[in-house]
Parts: sequence; structure tokens; C-alpha cells
Amino acid sequence: MISVSNLTKTYGNKTVVSGVSAQFPARQLTSLIGPNGAGKSTLLMMIARLLAPSSGDILLDGHSVTGIPIADYARRVATLRQSPDFNLRLTVEELVAFGRFPYSRGALTPEDRRVIDEAIAFLSLEPLRGAYLDEISGGQRQMAFLAMTIAQQTDCLLLDEPLNNLDIKHAVQIMRALRRLCDEQGRTVVLVVHDINFAASYSDHIVAMKGGAVHCAGPVSEVVTEAQLNALYGLDFEITRSPRGLLCNYFNLSGEPT
Amino acid sequence: MTHKPIPKMLRYAVWMVVIALALAFLFFRADWDFDYVIPKRLVRLAAMLIGGVCVAWPSIVFQTLTGNRILTPAVMGYEAVYLLLQSLLILFMGTQSLVALGANGNFALSVVLMLGYSWAIHRWLFRDGRNNVYFLLLIGLVLTMVIGTFTQFVQFKVSPGEFSVLLGFSQASFGKAEPGQLLASAVLVAAVCAVGIKTLPTLDVLSLGRDQALSLGVDYQRAVRLHLALIAVLVAVSTSLLGPTAFMGIFVANTAYALARSIRHRVTLPTGCAIAIGIFILAQLVVEHVFNYRTTVGILVNLVCGAWFLALMVRTRGNA
Repeated sequence: MISVSNLTKTYGNKTVVSGVSAQFPARQLTSLIGPNGAGKSTLLMMIARLLAPSSGDILLDGHSVTGIPIADYARRVATLRQSPDFNLRLTVEELVAFGRFPYSRGALTPEDRRVIDEAIAFLSLEPLRGAYLDEISGGQRQMAFLAMTIAQQTDCLLLDEPLNNLDIKHAVQIMRALRRLCDEQGRTVVLVVHDINFAASYSDHIVAMKGGAVHCAGPVSEVVTEAQLNALYGLDFEITRSPRGLLCNYFNLSGEPT
Repeated sequence: MTHKPIPKMLRYAVWMVVIALALAFLFFRADWDFDYVIPKRLVRLAAMLIGGVCVAWPSIVFQTLTGNRILTPAVMGYEAVYLLLQSLLILFMGTQSLVALGANGNFALSVVLMLGYSWAIHRWLFRDGRNNVYFLLLIGLVLTMVIGTFTQFVQFKVSPGEFSVLLGFSQASFGKAEPGQLLASAVLVAAVCAVGIKTLPTLDVLSLGRDQALSLGVDYQRAVRLHLALIAVLVAVSTSLLGPTAFMGIFVANTAYALARSIRHRVTLPTGCAIAIGIFILAQLVVEHVFNYRTTVGILVNLVCGAWFLALMVRTRGNA
């Protein structure tokens, strides 16, 4: 369980995240949603300890994270940033093996190899094991990075826009994998996602941000309502409930409220 | 993994070539003269071994830290600082500075100055917690230019005789290495290697970039600072021992990546060292036996590496 209280990040006199308090329940999938510039990624990066907060507290299972050495933190929280433009000549397997670094510092044990195999199998990446990262598609590369994060065997996974630039098939594969991580392995997943329908279909919990503050937060059924989303994005939403779940339609040719 | 055997053979082949070159260097036209010729050559060979490590290691590690394959520590202004020191010594003390300090004194002074220089820039740059490597590079580039211009200004002030002494400093050569200096260098290089070898897996993680390294539990800022310090020591040793070899690092690093087909530093660093040592020996052989000392290793190395690198750039069309 991760919670943040009064978290603030300022650059000069520009406040990007201001006094955010939120909870990310354990063993659940939480989506951070909101318009561009809402501070979602900044919040996530502060939780990942890639950015130092200007003020406020981040608590992991009730303890402030600032007291945890970064090497120990890597065994509890794994972070995946937007897939970097990568020019390293690495195979998928070699990349996934990096996920074991927090445990073995580079010398792989048989246990490490087992976990690497599991992570690769979990995402059905076996055919790509020996493929070089610069020779596979963007979606496959994102899966490989996710496998590395999974191999890190942390209770919490933080993902910054993991669906960026992916086709719908790969996006669905990634979201299903994250869902399974929660349901089958009891991991806590927090991700920044822009597609509201992915957030609505696959999350347990949603934190919606706007202008550096929390707009609303709660279970999907509380946040994904026409009134909340209209206010969040300034768009006209129509939400349909079907046996497959919620479907948010914000497409509207005239742009006028209907 | 399936594609490993060939690079492994290639790597062994590189070492074989280096050993063959070393033997050729020692015994070619030596008439088995173990009293004078061969001991003298052994000293030069030792200088080349140390020089090879001091060129390859900083270049490869620096490229890992910056995530860029065209930059070398020379960009950070180390060699410029060395040349500035030599110019100032000549300007204020004349060629007598060489006598007063002695070669070892000059060497020690250069090492200390360059360590101080790197300590100063890192301290200044990390002061406000900012650790943007590109900013560091830009500062290094500007400093190189400023110091370089200042050095030129100093060089215009000295007499032609003193200028020719300066010219000797500004070109790489193995002739000026002395046994005492070599021993000091060897100790420094061995110390750096002892520290560095323990952190090779961390270097692999650093090549994934700051965010990924942090998320894998590497204290990025500390690791970068450690490696920049190690680089400073090695560059200081190499510039004061051999003179500037700026261009060679790029070539050595890129050839090492191509031969090693891996980003593992356990593989790329030894391969890079082998390539650098091989190039030095080959260049020295050519200088001694083909050009009869009418050219220097520095000129030869920069000419060949420069041409090769240009070809590499054109062939890969900016992907290097």
C-alpha cells in the first residue's frame, strides 16, 4: 500500500504538483488519469524516487520512503518509464536479466534464471528471447521492458504511460498482463494511462488529477461517471454500461453538448 | 546464447594479434641485444600497455555514462588543462621549468591538477543536485575552447625554441616515458582497475540510463561521480604520460563495441584495451622502422583513427 500526503513539487515558482494526498491500495490496479500537465507523471516519478518532492511525504506500508536505501527500494518498488529511445544492442533475455540486478548485483544465480524464465513466459515472449531490442517492434519492446520490471519481483509496480504508441492489441496484452499480476500474484500496480476506456475496464481504483491536484479518487464506479469526467476533461462524455463493462464515449462531431 | 561463439573468437583473436605485435615490437631488428635495445623497448611497451588502458577505459565508460558514442573525456577539457599547464610553465619559467621540476615533478603536478580540475567541475555541477550529463558536456566543451584559446595566446608569447618544446608536449609519444613515471602510472592504473572491476555490472546498468538505473537500485549520482573520478585519474595518467590522444578514444570504443557485440563492460573494456594497445604498438613499430622517427605516434594514430571514424560516420549515416 502506497500513500502520499501533502506531496508538492515546484520548479522555480511553477507548482506542478500541489499538496496531493492519495492512496494506492495494495493488490489493486490503480490508474492515474487526467489531462496533459495535470502532474500525473510527476507524482508517479516522485513515488518511484526518480524525482525528489519539494515537500510532503510518501509512505510505503506506513513507513516514509526517504528512510529506505535506494538499493532496498528496488526490491520493493519497480518503475517502468515511457520506453526510452534505445540504441543499445541487447537481447530481450539480457534486458529481462537486468531486472535481477537488485538481488544479485550482476552475477545471476539459478534462482535468478528461473525468475527470468518465468517473467518471459508470463508475457509469452519465449519466441523473442534471443531477439535484439532494436530489431523488434515498439509493442514487443514495451513487453520486454515490462518483463524486466516483472522479474524485479517487487510488490509494487509503477508504470508511466505503458500504452504509449502501442497498437490496440499490444495495449490490451499489456493491460491484461497487469491485471493478472494483481489477481494471480497479488502485486500492486499503479499506472499513468491516457485512454479512459482502458482505465475504466482494467482498473480497480482511479486517481484523477487536474492542475496538479487530485480532482477525484475512488473505485472505478465512483470516478467513471459522466459528471466527474465532464468536469475533469471539459468534454462531453456518454457512458454506456454493457455486459463487457463501461464504455466512455467522448466523440462528438459538433463539439457542442448534446 | 546462439550468437556468442563468433565474437568470443574475435576477442581472442584481438589479444593474439596484440601479443604477436608486442613480440614483433620487442625483437624486430633487435639482434637479441638484451642489454640495451630490448630493455629500452620493454619500457616503451609498458608505456603502451598503460596508455592503452588509459585511452580505452575512460572513453568506453564515459560513453556509457553519457549514453553517447561520439564523445570522449577530451571533450571535458582534461587535455586542454594539461596543455595549459605546460604552456604556463614554459611561459613563466622558460625551458628551465623542465629542469627544475624534472619529468616526474611535471607528471605529478599534471595528475594533481587534472584531478583537481575534475573535482572542481563536478563539485560545482553537483552543487544544486543537478546532474544533467549533457549540461556537464556543454560546460566541458566551452571550457575546452576557452582554455585552448588561452593556451594558444600563451604559445604566441614564448620563443620559437620554447614553442618547439611545447609542441613535444602536445603530441603523443612513448619516447618521453621514464621508468619512475611508468611505475607511478602503473600503480594508479592498477588502483583504478581494482575499484572499477568491482563495479562492472553497475556500469552495465548505468548504460540503461538514469531512470532505469535508479529503479534497479543503483545510486546513480554516486556511481556517476565515482566513475568520473576514475576517468579523471586515467585521463590524467594518459595525457601526462603520452600527451593528448583525443581522437583515438572514439575509434577504440566503437571498434570494441563492434567486435564485442555486447554492451557488457566485462567484455567491452578488455576488448577496448586490447585494441588501444594494439594500435599503439603498431603505430610505434611504423614510427620506428618505417618513418625512422620522422613522425610521431600521435600524428599517425589521429590520422588513421580519424580516417576510419569518418568512414564509420558516413557508412552508418549518423547512427553511430
